[in-house]
Formats: sequence, C-alpha cells, structure tokens
Amino acid sequence: MAGLLKKTTGLVGLAVSQNPHERLRILYTKILASLQTMPQDAAYRKYTEQLVNERFSHVKTEPDVEKLEKKINCGQIEEVIFQAECELALSRKMSEWKPWEPLVEEPPPNQWKWPI
Amino acid sequence: MASTAATRTAAGAAKVVKPIFSRDLDEAKRRVRELYRAWYREVPNTVAVFQLDITTRQGRDKVREMFDKNKHVTDPRVIDMLVIKGKMELQETIHVWKQKTHMMRYFYESEEPRPTDFLSKFYRGHDQ
Amino acid sequence: MAASLVRFVRGGLGRSFNIARTSCLLQQQTRLQGSSTETRPTVRPKDAVAHNQLAAFGEYVAEMMPKYIQQVQVTCYNELEVMIHPDGVIPVLTFLRDHTNAQFRNMTDLTAVDIPTRQNRFEIVYNLLSLRYNSRIRVKTYTDELTPIDSAVPVHMAANWYEREVWDMFGVFFANHPDLRRILTDYGFEGHPFRKDFPLSGYVEVRYDDELKRVVAEPVELAQEFRKFDLNTPWEVFPAYRDPKEDAPKLEAGEKAPEKK
Repeated sequence: MAGLLKKTTGLVGLAVSQNPHERLRILYTKILASLQTMPQDAAYRKYTEQLVNERFSHVKTEPDVEKLEKKINCGQIEEVIFQAECELALSRKMSEWKPWEPLVEEPPPNQWKWPI
Repeated sequence: MASTAATRTAAGAAKVVKPIFSRDLDEAKRRVRELYRAWYREVPNTVAVFQLDITTRQGRDKVREMFDKNKHVTDPRVIDMLVIKGKMELQETIHVWKQKTHMMRYFYESEEPRPTDFLSKFYRGHDQ
Repeated sequence: MAASLVRFVRGGLGRSFNIARTSCLLQQQTRLQGSSTETRPTVRPKDAVAHNQLAAFGEYVAEMMPKYIQQVQVTCYNELEVMIHPDGVIPVLTFLRDHTNAQFRNMTDLTAVDIPTRQNRFEIVYNLLSLRYNSRIRVKTYTDELTPIDSAVPVHMAANWYEREVWDMFGVFFANHPDLRRILTDYGFEGHPFRKDFPLSGYVEVRYDDELKRVVAEPVELAQEFRKFDLNTPWEVFPAYRDPKEDAPKLEAGEKAPEKK
C-alpha cells in the first residue's frame, strides 16, 4: 500500500520495497535461526536476539509502514531492511569467527601505555 | 596470572611468528628464483623500451649483482619482504612507470668515490 | 578528577566480578559527578553524558568480542578507543560495520604510528564514522616490521589507498591487499620516510646532470653534519595524559544492558 504511494527513498542505490513486512519477516527469521547455532551465553547472541525480537514484534503488530518506521526509529523501512541484511551476513560470519571465546593473546607489556 | 601469561606469550612469540608468504627457507628461495627469472627475462625488453645505453649483458650482470647484495639474508620473512619490494620494482619497470633516470640510478654513473685520506678530503673541502 | 582518561582494562576471564564491577561502576559515576565542579580553568568542559554513553558502548563492544578486544578506553576528549589483537582486524571492523547498534559504515582514516621502543613498533589506527548514530570510534592494533596484518579492503573500500600509504611510509605489509604498491614516494626510492629511524635529510639528493643529460641521484652530502639540538621543553607536554594518582578502575566487560546511542 505504501509502496504504491512512495516513489523513492531519496537514497542512491536503495529502491522502494514493495512488501517490507514480508521481507523483514524472512530476514528476522533467518537471523534468529542463525543465532541459534551460537552458544547460549554468547553476548552477541543475547543482545542481537533481544534487538531482533523487539523489531520483529513491531513488524508483526504494526501493519502500517509509516507507523512501523516511527516505532522502530531507525530510518526508513528500506534502511531497516538493509540493516537486517547486514546483520544476517554478520551473524553467519560470527559463527565462523567465534568471537565469544577468551582473548587470543594478551598484548605485550606496555603496548597500550601512552605516553611511553 | 597475567605475568605468567605474558612470559608464555613472549616465549611463544620467539618461536612462532606469522609468516608473510613462505613457511620455510626453501619456499622463500623458490620465490627468489622466480623473481630472478622474471627480471632476467625482462632485461632485454627494458633496455629496448627505455633506450638505455647498456647491453643486455650489462643489465643482467646488474640484476645478478643486486640479488647477490642480499645473499647473506637467511630469515624467510626478510627474504619475502625483499621479494615483495623486488616485485614492486619489476612491475614499475614492466609498465614503464619509471623513467630512464630511475633505471640508470642502479648504475651510479655520476657518483665519484668519496675521498678517504686527509689530504684529498682537504682538497674537496670536507673537514670530517 | 585526576584521571581524565578512563580505561577499562580487561580483568580476568570469569564472570565472577559482578559485585565488584557494579561497585566500580558506581564509584566511577560518582567520580564523574564530582568532576562536574571544575576548579581548574579550562576551555573544554567535561561532557559527562557523552562520556558515559561512549563508555557504555565501549563495554558493549568489548563484551561482544572478548576474543579480540584487549582494552577499551575513552580519552579526555571523549573519543572512544578500542585496542584489538592484530588477528581481529577483519572481525572487529566487520562487526562495527554490520551490527545494527554500531553501523560504522565509513572509514574516515587509516594510519600508523611508529614507536620504536616498543616490542611491536607500529600502531595501526582505524578511524570509523557512523552516520546513523553520529558517532566516531577509533580502533587500534599493533604490528612490527615483518608481521603482515590483514588488509581491511574487503570490509572498507576506502582502506585501499590508506593502506598503500602506510605501506609506502612505514613499510607495514598488508596481506591480501589487491594492489599494494607505492603511492607517495618516487620510483626507485628506498626506505620508508615516516619511520622514526629514517634520517631527516633522507639518503639521496637529486640534481640535473649536464653531461649525462638526465636527473641523477647521489648520496646526500651535507656541508655540516646534522646538529643535535636539545629540544626538551621545561613544560609538561601531555598534561591531559598525566598518570592518575590512584589505579584506574578495573572493569570486567559488563552485563549491563547498553544504552542505545
């Protein structure tokens, strides 16, 4: 509906999404599935789940796009979709890198001391 | 705990280092040979393109001399670094990004040997 | 407040410091409040709100990626600095770019600092900008002359020329860089000019030679040897970086919910 009225996002390379709810639903489901593979106490999983669930509930409850944009409060809905795409790519890479593990190596002594 | 971790990492750092390309000396030497071959093949072309007043033979001798200058190096990482720089120079030569002056700089034509004994230093105006 | 530089040094690895940590946090807050009544004359009043926000975000990042982040600090000018292990360049930069709460999508600068007395003499500095949250972050890592560091080009295209510049000026090799060659120095130039051990006058001087009909380069010859000047100033050079009298508050990367910036 909004897609019919809205001609442009005003941002280069970002086309108007015809069906943002459907797209966001797919993306958020994928992100949540990808997060399931991480350990329960990983901080990344915890915070991202919290964030995605919050947005997902807004998407589920609010059919009107403009009101949804206001509720999510992170730019236009197309930008929100873009953020979700990035988050999905990141979450997949994160399960490879496993950054919740302990520190790989302590810095050499006085590495971060300034002034020397 | 922190101090033991520090000593452990320090000991580890002395043994295990991150390689640039080559894992051992043989691999590094292979890279050097590859670079030498590439330079060797490029010399006639360089002499023609830059219109240098040298023969191909002289050019190849110069390449040989410059490789020999670093033959004492045994650390694979240092060798890799030198190979990277050599490749960079080769690329600049092949694409003729360099000019004649840059090529002839390898031959030190204009340099006179620095005076060594006191009297010739005095004539040249050097006082140290 | 004596310490104008608040550091979050990494504590132990366990999560058993919660009580100590919260008390530290409280202590830090009270100290920040105490600093609002500034007695010394200053042109830059402390902005406790921005400072706390940055500190909270720094803790958030450190908690997310404990594998790579060694230290987080907020400087006296309210700049968030994240010190990472060299292995974590790609993960941390990607995380900062793609995470919804960070979105540092612009790389404004990449450079290096040479401190020859350190074991890893080069500090590589990445400055990032988040247009979404109007915020900046600085990521620092370290390397030495022979250790390659992962190129940031797959994450930020802008890093391409910056890394060429660092390679040219400092001689830090970036692994997997698509086109690593000189960018500022002349062809045939030897050495890396921004290294601290590079002489101020350089190694060669260039002139036009009439006989050879071309430009020649010769070893630099100074009429007078370089003088050693005593440039020590009697004034304090880094007053803002004065070491705190008491220990910096040791903080474990906390479980406190981060403030969204």
